[in-house]
This record gives sequence, C-alpha cells and structure tokens, in this order.
Amino acid sequence: MTQNNLRLLGSAVALAFGVAACAAPPPAAAPQPPAQPQQPAAPAAEPIRILVSMKGPGGGNPFWAAVERGALEKGKELGVEVIVLAPPAESDVQAQIAQVEDQIAKGVKAIAIAPTDPAALRPVLERAQQQGIKVLFIDTKGDLPGATFIGTNNELGAKLGVDYLCKNLPKGSKVAILQGIIVQSTGKARADGARTGLTECGMNIVAELSAEWDRAKATSVMEDILTRHPDIQGVFASNDNMALGAVEALKNAGVNDKVIVVGFDANPDAAAAILAGEMEATVAQNPYNMGAFGVENALKLIRGETIPEVIDTGTELVTKENAERYK
Amino acid sequence: MALATQTPSEARARSLRVRLIPYIDRFGILLLVLLMLAIGTITQPDVFLTWRNLSNIPGQNAANAALAIGMFVVIVTAGIDLSVGSVLVLAMMTTAVLARAQALPPILLVFVPILVGIGVGLFNGLGLTVLRLPHPFIVTLGTLNIARGLANLISGGVPISGLPSEVRFLGNGVIPIGDVQIPVSLVVIAVLYVGFWVFLQYTRTGRHLYAIGGNPQAARVSGINVERTLVLAYVLCGATAGLAGLLVAGRTNSGFPNAGIGAELDAISAVIIGGASFFGGRGSVLGVLAGVLVIGLLRNILNLNDVQVFWQQVLIGLVIILAVFIDVLRRRAGSASD
Repeated sequence: MTQNNLRLLGSAVALAFGVAACAAPPPAAAPQPPAQPQQPAAPAAEPIRILVSMKGPGGGNPFWAAVERGALEKGKELGVEVIVLAPPAESDVQAQIAQVEDQIAKGVKAIAIAPTDPAALRPVLERAQQQGIKVLFIDTKGDLPGATFIGTNNELGAKLGVDYLCKNLPKGSKVAILQGIIVQSTGKARADGARTGLTECGMNIVAELSAEWDRAKATSVMEDILTRHPDIQGVFASNDNMALGAVEALKNAGVNDKVIVVGFDANPDAAAAILAGEMEATVAQNPYNMGAFGVENALKLIRGETIPEVIDTGTELVTKENAERYK
Repeated sequence: MALATQTPSEARARSLRVRLIPYIDRFGILLLVLLMLAIGTITQPDVFLTWRNLSNIPGQNAANAALAIGMFVVIVTAGIDLSVGSVLVLAMMTTAVLARAQALPPILLVFVPILVGIGVGLFNGLGLTVLRLPHPFIVTLGTLNIARGLANLISGGVPISGLPSEVRFLGNGVIPIGDVQIPVSLVVIAVLYVGFWVFLQYTRTGRHLYAIGGNPQAARVSGINVERTLVLAYVLCGATAGLAGLLVAGRTNSGFPNAGIGAELDAISAVIIGGASFFGGRGSVLGVLAGVLVIGLLRNILNLNDVQVFWQQVLIGLVIILAVFIDVLRRRAGSASD
C-alpha cells in the first residue's frame, strides 16, 4: 500500500526538480585566459591559485570526490589553478588548519573551504583575510561574518524528504526520525527540517532519536522504536547509512514492506536499496556544484565582484524513478 | 589479627561485613543489572520484558560483548588495547572487499575477520614485547591509526553493501526452537564467554595472565614466560575484535568505513563497570558480561523512553563512575578487615 501512490510520487519528483531549478547556478563568468596579467602581485606567467579545502579526502568518499571534480573542472574552464586538499579524516582539524596555513604561505588568492570545525578554523581564516585572501565556505557554514556560504540548505532538503512521507501516508500516521549528531549544524538542520515538515503535514512523530550517523547504531535504535511502536508507518533518517541500518531492523522484524523509509545523501547503496524496494526515497545533495560554484565565486571575489551571502547548491528527491542515476 | 583488639560488638558487626564481602564481590555488579531490569520494567511495563524487546538485546550488544571479553584479557595483564575499534573495521572491510571480489568461497570468508584480528593482535603483542615499546597504550594507539587507515585504503573508504548469507549468519541468523527465534549472536557470545571463563579459571596460561597483571616481576621470577603470555593476550583481544567485525558486518549486511569509531571506549567501560582493575590481576568473565549488559540495557531503556542521546552520554558516564566507586568502597571495606 505504500508503493501504489505513484502519482503523488511523480509530483514529488516534479517538486524536487523545481527546487533544483530554483537553485540553478548563476550564469558562468566568461572564461579567462590562463595567464592573469592584470594581477600585479603575481608574476605575469603565474595563474591565479585558489585553494579548495575539503573535510575529507576525495579518494575516501564519493561526496568529496564529486566536490573535487566540480572544483577542478570549473578551474580548468575558468583558467585558474585549483588546489584541492583535505585532512586524512573529517575529525582532523589540526591537519586542515596546517594545510590552509601552508597554502597561505604559498600565495593562494582565495580559499573555498569546508571547515571541519568552524570555530577552530576561524583564526587562520581571519589571518588569510587580513592578507587580502578571499574566503568563502562550501558544504559547511563557517564562523566568519560576511563570508559567503555555498552549500545545501539541509533544512529544506530534509523537508523535501519528509514531504514524501507526508504525501504517501494518511494524516496522523506514526512516524520516527533518526537524527544524526545534532551538535553538528548539518545534523541539527536536517532534524529540524524533518520535524517541521512532519508536524506541518499532521504526522504523529512518536520517536526522535539519534543514531549518530552510524548504520549499526541505527539498526539498534530502529529495533527499539519498533518494540515500542510496532505499528510505525514511516521513518526519516538524516543520512542514508542510518536509513539502511533501519531497513535491516525492519527486514528482521518482517515489516519492511509496511514502513516507508526515507534517507538523505543519495549514496549508491541507498540508490540500490530504493531500486530493490527496500527503502522508498532519499535526498540528493549536489556536491559537484559545491566545488564548481566554490571556484567560480572565489574568482568573482578575487575580481572584486560581490556575491550573495548564501548560494544554495540544490537538493533533489531520489525515488525508484531516478535512483538508477545515483547507483 | 586486628580483630583481637576490638570490642565484641564491633567485631560482630565487622565479621558480618567480612562475611558479606565475598558475595558482594561476586554478585555486586549483578545487582546493578537487576536494578536496570527493574527500571526498564517500571518505565515501560508493556514493552520492556516482552520477547520482542529482549530478543533485540543480544544483537545490539554482541559486538561490544566480543570486544569487551578480549579487552578484559588484556586489562587483566594490566594492559590496554586501544586498537579494537579499528581492528573491527579492518576485519569488516577486508571481508566485505573479498566478498565483493568473490575471491574466496563464502564459507571461508567467515575466517577472514578473525585472521585479520589475530594479525593485528600479534603486531600489538610483538610491539610490546620485542620492540619493547614502553606501554601498550603506545603500540595500540599506533595500530588504532594503522588499521583504520588500511581499512579505508582497501575499500576506498566507501561502504560495501550486500554480503553472502554465510558471512551474515553469526551476526544476523536465528535458530528457531518452537515458536522462539534464538539469535545466533546470542549463541556465539555464550560459547565465547564460557570458553574464556574456562580458559581464564582453569588453564595454566589463564592463571598466568592474572599473575602477570598482579605482579609481573613475581610472575617472571616464578618461571612464567611473561613475553609469550602477553603476546597471546593481545592476539586473543585482536581475534575477538575481528569476530566483533564479523558480527557487525552480519547485522548490518555491509562493511562501512565508519564502523567501530570509539568502540574501544565502550569495551573498556564494560570491563571497568564489570569490576576489573585497570592495574591488572583482578576481574571476572561474569563481571564483564554484566558490564556489557549494564551499558546495553541502559541504551535500550533510554531508547524505549525516547531519551535524547545527550542524556544517554551523561548517564553512561555516571554509571561508569558509580560502578567503580562502589568497587572502591567494597575494596576499602575488604582491606579494613584484613
């Protein structure tokens, strides 16, 4: 009974494309010749260098790999030299600070950064600004007044995800939210967006628990929720790993076909699970845009143009109809 | 001896306490488990003691139970193994990568995580004894990083979903007995704990582990091969961490690179709550099991009551301190009676 609302699903997809369209990039700046003779500080032959500092290595995570690809391809297109760096782990704040310091010393003109820890990165980024280096944030909003943030509006993304539950379940259905780590801005924004969305459409939120982004923890938490509320009808998980963990618990309890599961991130495993009918939907971010918009807008700042304070890279609802693209 | 100088009434009170001590010593932690069961039943009378809830407990705690028993063997020798969470993920990702590549018959894949664990454990043990690194903290801190790095390298840091049923059996299988579905992970943990209990209580090597933790110098003088026994302790700890990786892989039907982050702390907590001493030579297998259950039941009860994760952290911290404080009181009472 959960799968036969295909017409509603179609409209949800249409809405998703609508949102994505709203977030379409501003027209690309005219490509620059590789050499930048108008830059007095750099020697004539040296191209403009832009640092893209990510939270984790692209080799370890498809998300950062897409950010990296977006940044490098946009850099090539615009004729600027893009240096992409990341600490070995998302928790390694010190390594990211050191990398930024080293690149300041090497003379980058702009930094597009996804800060591992906004407060810890602030001093080094302020130092960069004092030296005339332009700073903007990608993926995660940093702690620097006036600096532009380019990334997913996670609250809107979560709303887009729970919208699928709203459209496919009767009013008053019992639903649960599996939160990420809510001391992180992403975790909080997604939990808030989901709560608001589900409350607005009249769902009965019976449990809101954190599984700390972790698949195994999500299985345990989902088991406990099922114990308490065997008649649960929908689950929104703040990332796909937790959604997939919840699916394991639902399968073991033999109720996978009775519960709609919606995740976030559109990772390949989730896309496969959607195609297999084990979960119903997920929300795709656009990491490629984060890299590309980051480089493009960094160049605009270097040229003295003004850019908006927030640039949404867009989200898209992924269901059976378009999951193939994310496998 | 000291009793001789006391008044008769004091002596009687003290002797009662002295007679109670062995029981509290053995069963004190079980009281904490019973208390948890009582709180669970009172706050969720319709849910907590149902089979549906109780049958979740083994699966939710099997991995920590496996990690904790290995950690216990190491802590009994006055050591520590910080690498178990990383061993868990390395074992899990190695298995998942080999499963995806179909490099081995699925039934042999089951042994892979254990072998990976034994390998890292051997490295830890040799680092401690052959390289003579000053404290197990150092070598296992090294392997904590190495094993997680290797896990990311071999898998590209990407989760791998969909494992063969043979690999999933221990972590996710059930054995139907009449209407009741017994989780295989419960059987695994039962066999593991009985095995370790027999080993530590009744074998010569098992007693040597306690002796080394109690007083390494005395152990060496009395002819125990301290180095070899220590290596064995770290190998056992690695092997159980590998088993934990297999259990988590089975339960989640995947290998995911963020598995086991901070798992060593849960394992250490369980061992310490269960009454083992950080200074070695003391603790019991039953205590470790109780420690695992205390943490697991606490999480289960808090989840059932929709308590948010921040409070869960606070309460687990308080339980660790409370459990060890009870232990301190108990020992003070014990030493006063000598």
